[in-house]
Amino acid sequence: MTLLERDPNAPVFWKGNMPVTSRYTFGLAGERFFRAIKDEGRILGTRCPECDITYVPATLFCERCMAELTEWVDAGEIGEVHTYTLLFEDMDGNRLPEPEIVAFVRLGDGGLVHRLGEVELDELYIGMNVEPVFKPAAERTGSILDILYFRPVD
Amino acid sequence: MSERVAIVGVGWAGFRPSTPYQSYKELMYEAAVRAYADAGVDPRRDIETFVTVSEDFHEGTSIFDEYTPDQLGGALKPVHTIGGDGLHGLATGYMLVRTGRFSLVTVEAHSKASNILTLPYITAYAQDPVLNRPLRLNPEYIAGLEMHRYLYETDTTPEQCAAVVVKNKRNALLNPLASFAADLTLDEVLNGPPVAWPLGRHEVAPLADGAVVMVLASEEKARLLTDKPVWIRGIGWCNGPASLESRDWADAPHIREAARLAYRQAGIRDPFQEIDFAEVDDTYAFKELQHLEALGICLPGEAGLLTEQGATEPDGEFPVNVSGGSLGVGHLLDGTGLARALEVVLQLRGEAGPRQLEDVEVGLVQSWRGVPTTSGVVAVLSN
Repeated sequence: MTLLERDPNAPVFWKGNMPVTSRYTFGLAGERFFRAIKDEGRILGTRCPECDITYVPATLFCERCMAELTEWVDAGEIGEVHTYTLLFEDMDGNRLPEPEIVAFVRLGDGGLVHRLGEVELDELYIGMNVEPVFKPAAERTGSILDILYFRPVD
Repeated sequence: MSERVAIVGVGWAGFRPSTPYQSYKELMYEAAVRAYADAGVDPRRDIETFVTVSEDFHEGTSIFDEYTPDQLGGALKPVHTIGGDGLHGLATGYMLVRTGRFSLVTVEAHSKASNILTLPYITAYAQDPVLNRPLRLNPEYIAGLEMHRYLYETDTTPEQCAAVVVKNKRNALLNPLASFAADLTLDEVLNGPPVAWPLGRHEVAPLADGAVVMVLASEEKARLLTDKPVWIRGIGWCNGPASLESRDWADAPHIREAARLAYRQAGIRDPFQEIDFAEVDDTYAFKELQHLEALGICLPGEAGLLTEQGATEPDGEFPVNVSGGSLGVGHLLDGTGLARALEVVLQLRGEAGPRQLEDVEVGLVQSWRGVPTTSGVVAVLSN
């Protein structure tokens, strides 16, 4: 606390918050993407044959040429750790008891940000092959959290 | 009609970790009064239109244009508020003059960061609501992911990133507006607490409060008002593929493209040779290196070497962030880009006091809107 903040003549402040509650519609491609995770435990992408790009997660359009994408593909069960970090703070800025391992996992020409699990730090490297660990089918809701984490492939 | 646009007045207020006495409106007012005195104009009579830059959630308000005209002298005048970094406001002000409709324009951006109690939650709202946000990760993880891939692809070392912190915080010792000046060693930076490894706490610019106001003028008006105009010779901005799923994790192609636009307009072919110094975004230490490479000052992987060799020191071949950058001055959120531009203006006018660079004629300023964005602006200024 600075001297200024201790000054009894300093103005008070008013605390406020914003009660924002909203819906979000993920759209036609997003609906099918999450339904495949929920029902089949599969990660889907869409292909732009013109640009030779496989979008993961699937999108309805190619952001490079703006074509509508109709070719759906299975992104496969194995991705590659493109980059990773050890996160030491939670959303409130508090120190986490153990750092979380967060990675961008390359799938097709896109990929997913997610946690890594069942991995030893000294074995982890950029380029490592990993696979998603899904919740049991009955517990899946069609969410990114249906994937618990990615783990190394033996 | 002349195509040239000049900065003819600058003003600032705050530049402190907290400003408990002042409201953000009073910070804006203080900065505006200084800028108008500096330009020698009466805002109520002379300024024709006003641009403010802000992010509603940073302010804890909605529809922020309801909160801006009065303290700038803009009531009953054309006013608009844009989202972006302060340099987006400079670009907008530039375009307003170039329409020919306005000859004097005010641009403002500020930070009252000390009043924001839940910044990571606000930043989380800039990420995809269903793909990213449910993971409930402190958004600094994005900087950690970017830094790790940047180091991996360019062979830049953590020591080279730490050298940016040492340089900028030391530069800040000569800047009275800098709140976070320090004389640190490489080891002190490297041994600090980690935030999102490989990113350490000392490599993250701390937040500060402050406001910056600039007055822009057509050439005709600038010649009447001042003998020290600072010309906006080129300005460009760009947004990269924004989603975390399709971005380039190692490079900053949005800055590369913004620079290409600005250089083309300014007629710059070789920025390292033709530009004398730069103020670039250093929200995270590695970003200064990544941004210098994207700006074409050097090739990918070379900025760390240049830094180690001292080329970006105030007495080096290409001084970078003589002001102390955001690492030394403090990060002003939406006002950060204008704070960097303020230093370039002061240097080009020869008014930078003990940190004044000798014989500078052309300065570069670059901003980035922070994680998770791929949004940046580049401008070339000259005296």
